[in-house]
Amino acid sequence: MSGVALIISFFVLAVASVASALGVILFRNAVHSALSLILTLLFLAMFYLQLGAMFIAIVQILIYAGAIMVLFLFVVTMLAADPRDPDLQDRLPWQRGVAVVLGLVLVGALSYLLLSGTPLNEAARAHGADALSQVVAQQGNIQAFGQALFHGFSFAFEVTSLVIVVAILGALVLGRKA
Amino acid sequence: MTTIPVSWYLIVSALLFTIGTIGVLVRRNPLIIFMSIELMLNAVNLAFVTLSSYLDSADGQVFVFLVLTVAAAEVVVGLAIIVSIFRTRRNIDVDEMNLLRG
Repeated sequence: MSGVALIISFFVLAVASVASALGVILFRNAVHSALSLILTLLFLAMFYLQLGAMFIAIVQILIYAGAIMVLFLFVVTMLAADPRDPDLQDRLPWQRGVAVVLGLVLVGALSYLLLSGTPLNEAARAHGADALSQVVAQQGNIQAFGQALFHGFSFAFEVTSLVIVVAILGALVLGRKA
Repeated sequence: MTTIPVSWYLIVSALLFTIGTIGVLVRRNPLIIFMSIELMLNAVNLAFVTLSSYLDSADGQVFVFLVLTVAAAEVVVGLAIIVSIFRTRRNIDVDEMNLLRG
C-alpha cells in the first residue's frame, strides 16, 4: 500500500473507532452499546492488520467480536426485561460534568506524555534472527507469534489455562441455584 | 513496515482509553460499565500491537494474547455476578447496590 493510501486508511479507521467507542457510552439502550462495541472491536482488528499483526487481528474477531460479545448480548437481552431505565432518575447530576472534565484532563496528560516523552529506545528494537520481521519473512506470521509465545512465555501460557479453568468454575458456582 | 508515526496510533489508543474511563465514571448500568472496561483493555492492546510492530518484536503480540485471556475470564465471572445479583434483587443499578451479600 502506498503512503498516502495508508495515511487515509489510518484516519478513516481512527475516526470510525473513536466514534463507535463514543457510541458505547452514549447509547441509552445497552443492546445498542454492545453492537457499537462490536464495531469498535472490528475496527481495532483492522488496525492490527494495518500493523502487520495478522494472528492477533483474527483472534480479536473470533474471541472478542465473536465469543465475548455474544455472551454480552445474551446477558443484555436476558436482563432487558426490567422496564425501568436506570439512567432516567439521576441521583448525581454533577457526575457527568466532573467525568467529562476528568476525561479531558486524562487525554490531555496522555497526549502530552506521548508527544513530549522520550523517543523509542533504539536499543530495545529486536535484531537478528529473533526479530519479528525476520521470522515473518522466513516462516510466516503465525509461526512468528508461536515462536515468541513458546520460547519466552510458555509458563505464562500455562497459567492462562489455569485462569480460564478457575473462571469457569467460579461462574459455575455463582450461577448454580443456591 | 508502516510509515505512520508511532505516536498517532498511541493517541488513538489514549482516546479510546479515555472514552472507556468516562464510561465507567458516568454510566450506572453495570453491563455498560463492563463494556467500558473492555474498551480500556482494547485501547491498551492497540498500544501493545503498535509498539510490537515498531520495535520489531513479537512480545507485544504475546501480551495482547494474555490480555485477551484475562478479559475473557473477567467477562465470564463478572456477568455471572451480575446475573446472580439480578436474580436476587431484580435490579442492577450500581447506585442501589450497597451490600456485598447481594
